Amino acid sequence: MRLLVDLIKPSSGSAQVLGLDTRSQSLEIRRRIGFLPGDLAMYPKLTGGAMLDYLARLRGGVDSRLRDSLVERFGAELDRPVRQLSTGNRQKIGLVQAFMHEPELLILDEPIAGLDPLVQRSFHALLAEVSREGRTVFLSSHTLSEVERVTGRLAILREGRLVVVDSVENLRKVAVHRMDIEFAAPVDPAEFRALPGVREADATGATMTVGIEGSADAVVKAAARHEVLAIRPREDDLEDIFLRYYRDVQS
Amino acid sequence: MSWDTTRLALRLRWSAAVSAAVGLIAVMLAVGALFPAVGHSIGKLNVPSSVANLLGGGDYGTITGWFRSEIAAIYGPLVIGALAITGASASTAGEEEDRVLGLVLAYPIRRSRLVAAKALAIAGIVLFIAFATWVGLIAGVALGGGGITLAHITGVAIQLAFFGFATGALALAVGAATGRRALATGLAAAVGVTGWLINSFAPLVAGLGWLKYLSPFYYYAGHDPLAHGANVPGLLVLGLLALVLTGVAMVSIERRDLRS
Repeated sequence: MRLLVDLIKPSSGSAQVLGLDTRSQSLEIRRRIGFLPGDLAMYPKLTGGAMLDYLARLRGGVDSRLRDSLVERFGAELDRPVRQLSTGNRQKIGLVQAFMHEPELLILDEPIAGLDPLVQRSFHALLAEVSREGRTVFLSSHTLSEVERVTGRLAILREGRLVVVDSVENLRKVAVHRMDIEFAAPVDPAEFRALPGVREADATGATMTVGIEGSADAVVKAAARHEVLAIRPREDDLEDIFLRYYRDVQS
Repeated sequence: MSWDTTRLALRLRWSAAVSAAVGLIAVMLAVGALFPAVGHSIGKLNVPSSVANLLGGGDYGTITGWFRSEIAAIYGPLVIGALAITGASASTAGEEEDRVLGLVLAYPIRRSRLVAAKALAIAGIVLFIAFATWVGLIAGVALGGGGITLAHITGVAIQLAFFGFATGALALAVGAATGRRALATGLAAAVGVTGWLINSFAPLVAGLGWLKYLSPFYYYAGHDPLAHGANVPGLLVLGLLALVLTGVAMVSIERRDLRS
């Protein structure tokens, strides 16, 4: 991300953003994008408001109504010096500055770091609006639930190398789905392990956890031979994908 | 030029500059007020020539010598150099180390323009301190009974400003080229202090007299502006040095990765 905004230079190769070269056309890129650095820092003596004013002037001015609506949305504090703000409150100012000029592309490094759940929610709502308007958000995150909620396409990086790039949907197709099946009486997991597509099956009491790749048809039909009290899908798909790519590279 | 950046840099350093200016003027008033009382007796002291040189040539008995040793030789350049050096290194390498540049430089502004804007702000602070020195000297000399012409006082203030430009530009260049605040501050301060020592002692050592030409201090005080007014060749050297170093700062920061 730092390379895309020309804060650091590529040791080899080149990159393009919005069809522009990140080195020779960096100014034009920076005019058209909004950027939130991962380790956001601002002038500690300035108030949030003064900081935003300065940044807005570096862009040649921004629509103050848009800025104010973002400030209101995130509940950003503009009157106190930045050094007195908590990490979360600083991050709010960082988000406002990234969005305040309606950029075509947003590059956000760990945007929800330090934000409370309420602000996270309004941030995610904003992301949805921005993507509906046809603008692109490129964000990095260590929070898998966030990634799952907001991304269309996902890339997994491991030790600086791209391991996979695909849509969340496609990745989910190849992922192992897990479900808990609660029976009226204990059932032998071996019966399920033999079914096509089943990668794992373990029982705790009368509850069986089954990991399936692909169709769940055989499992559901096998379960139907017993008395089923409940079927609960587990929602840790993306984490599985993630861990799998990490494991694959390691082995 | 990014005037907003210059204005912001001035705003962030303004209170330090104002307190330095107030302190400077107060000291000069005190020095001037003391002269009638102690000037004549202290003038009879037999000071070794090396110490006298360190203090700007001794000769406390005259008001020119008195102000030269108290203000022009040490205190003035110390204050202006300190403000120029800390200002220049803080607003380049300091902001980089504090990671503020990682946000600001993601905005559509060239690094070289940002550095030029900061340089202008530091130059403004240096001019302000030089002006305070001018005011303080006029008042201090008047309190001490007069005896230094306005032209010579103005000469000192101008020489002092150019000394500040040069030392500040050195810190700016090191700060912009390396992104290390401590290195920028330390190196520029070392050059300033070494320059002061060289200018004071080199002439006393046979065969080393030429060393003084390497010292920025020589181009500031070598021609004794308090006694002779501004020295154009000295100003040219310091001015050129400041411009070249600012150029180095602007070019070198474009070419490297931002730290942290």
